[in-house]
Amino acid sequence: MSSEPSLPGGRIALVDVNNFYVSCERVFDPALEGRPVVVLSNNDGCVVARSEEAKQLGIATGTPWFKVAPEAGRWGLVARSSNYELYGDLSARVMEVLGRFGSWQEVYSIDECFLGLPGDERQLLGTAARIRSAVMRHVGVPVCVGVAGTKTLAKFVNHIAKRNPHMQGVCSLDSMPAAEVARIQSRVPVTGLWGVGGRTAKRLNAMGIETVADLKAADPQLIRKRFSVVLQRTVLELNGTACIPHSEERADKQQIMFSRSFSTPVTTAEEMDQVMAVYAQRGAARMAAQGLNASVLTVTAGTSRFAGGEKSFPSASARLPVPTQDPIQLTRAAVATMRTCISEGTQYVRAGVLFTGLEPADGQQTLDPFVSDLDQRHIGDLLGSVRAKFGEAAIGLGQGGLAVPAAWSMKRDFSSPRYTTEWSDLPVVRA
Amino acid sequence: MNDGGGPGDARGFPSPAQDYFHGGIDLNRHLIRDRTCTFVMRVSGNSMAAAGISDGDELIVDRSLTPRDGSVVVAVVNGELLIRRLHLSGDHVRLQTDDGGVPTEVPELADLSIWGVVTRCLHHV
Repeated sequence: MSSEPSLPGGRIALVDVNNFYVSCERVFDPALEGRPVVVLSNNDGCVVARSEEAKQLGIATGTPWFKVAPEAGRWGLVARSSNYELYGDLSARVMEVLGRFGSWQEVYSIDECFLGLPGDERQLLGTAARIRSAVMRHVGVPVCVGVAGTKTLAKFVNHIAKRNPHMQGVCSLDSMPAAEVARIQSRVPVTGLWGVGGRTAKRLNAMGIETVADLKAADPQLIRKRFSVVLQRTVLELNGTACIPHSEERADKQQIMFSRSFSTPVTTAEEMDQVMAVYAQRGAARMAAQGLNASVLTVTAGTSRFAGGEKSFPSASARLPVPTQDPIQLTRAAVATMRTCISEGTQYVRAGVLFTGLEPADGQQTLDPFVSDLDQRHIGDLLGSVRAKFGEAAIGLGQGGLAVPAAWSMKRDFSSPRYTTEWSDLPVVRA
Repeated sequence: MNDGGGPGDARGFPSPAQDYFHGGIDLNRHLIRDRTCTFVMRVSGNSMAAAGISDGDELIVDRSLTPRDGSVVVAVVNGELLIRRLHLSGDHVRLQTDDGGVPTEVPELADLSIWGVVTRCLHHV
């Protein structure tokens, strides 16, 4: 694993978008500002994202929509169906803006990334504020920025920034009095830490380790013996030693991600095609194993912070024609999307693919041999040209050719338009 | 290099790499300064027709530009996105249509929410 060595005096920022899905909805519908808003899962099943106002109403993540719906009118609550095309596109834009500020960037999920921040520690708070205002200005979504010497601490101070409105979304550990940091750490339970789940917390509590301060003071060797090298790293990181490498693979209910550093830089589009093909196929295998289809993919790449050349952290997103786990389709989409945002000759040292808009794949099987056989006869090109002339639903393979939405087409009763990815769905401004 | 469309090519899709080598005009390159902060919007209404912006036209909107006196902007007024010409003079801030309609007076510059600055209008002829 090639994790980039840390620069002396360098700091790490964890930047994430506040209530990402809700914030995306608000960009093109400013009337949602200040109102309680929830975003629903596939098929409008349950709440997956909440605005601050919705949180204050006591609506929990995972609450089934039918339980909240009767109260919606009284509360002035607005619900939106998940619009992964919009979220993917805005995510790619956010990541590209953030990449401009970092000496390196590790996209960690659709709405958060780590950035390397070189420079004087007294200036870091100012840099964090500039990052926040740049994302607001360029894309229109609010972010929180936590800056510290390690990823674990950066995550921790990011939470501090979130919980303290007077900090205006930014917090740098170097700018906080040590006594204040110690006081907060002695109050926050270990579950408030990145990567410490409920089960681990229970076992820690049994050892008398209840708070972040307790864990920080624990013996790293003992923690490694009783738990894992992963939790040992958490202890070391709490004490200022950066030791968590870039994650290469991440999967949860909302996303599947593959990303890594290269041992030698990738400089040609053809090499990058191969990288994308590998990730797309690993993603496809993961989705097949979990019975999921992806509806949107986002690709990212990045140059080295050490190389003398141009720094660049491109990112782009694409909606898949239909939700799929088919390796051929995913490979094509990843390759083509990456080609839209990279330039030949640039030395890329990292790349990644993020699959979102995951949904159950039940019943809809792709016949691989059939599809690839047709491809070799250029049926794909033919279909493409027919579609370009007569519209998306004019012709297609299997269900792709039905003008009537197929069974897999989801219930999206409250969907906002695909403002940034569909010409027919552009946001309307009144003159 | 192989254009990706040949029968022996396992990838079998038209290669976007063609973009690097043919000399066609790329509107993205010429009309968009910075892809990351540029959005396309569709016009509804004719109150800005004198500025060459008509119902059904598409606008290229750059969020990162600083609006100046006379800029055509997308402004947020009462939760709605509106196209208006911005007038800044002394301590007066006004959002105006180009058809002589009643302007929206903004008491404080800080109260003004500008979504973005219109850089191009794709007018349907």
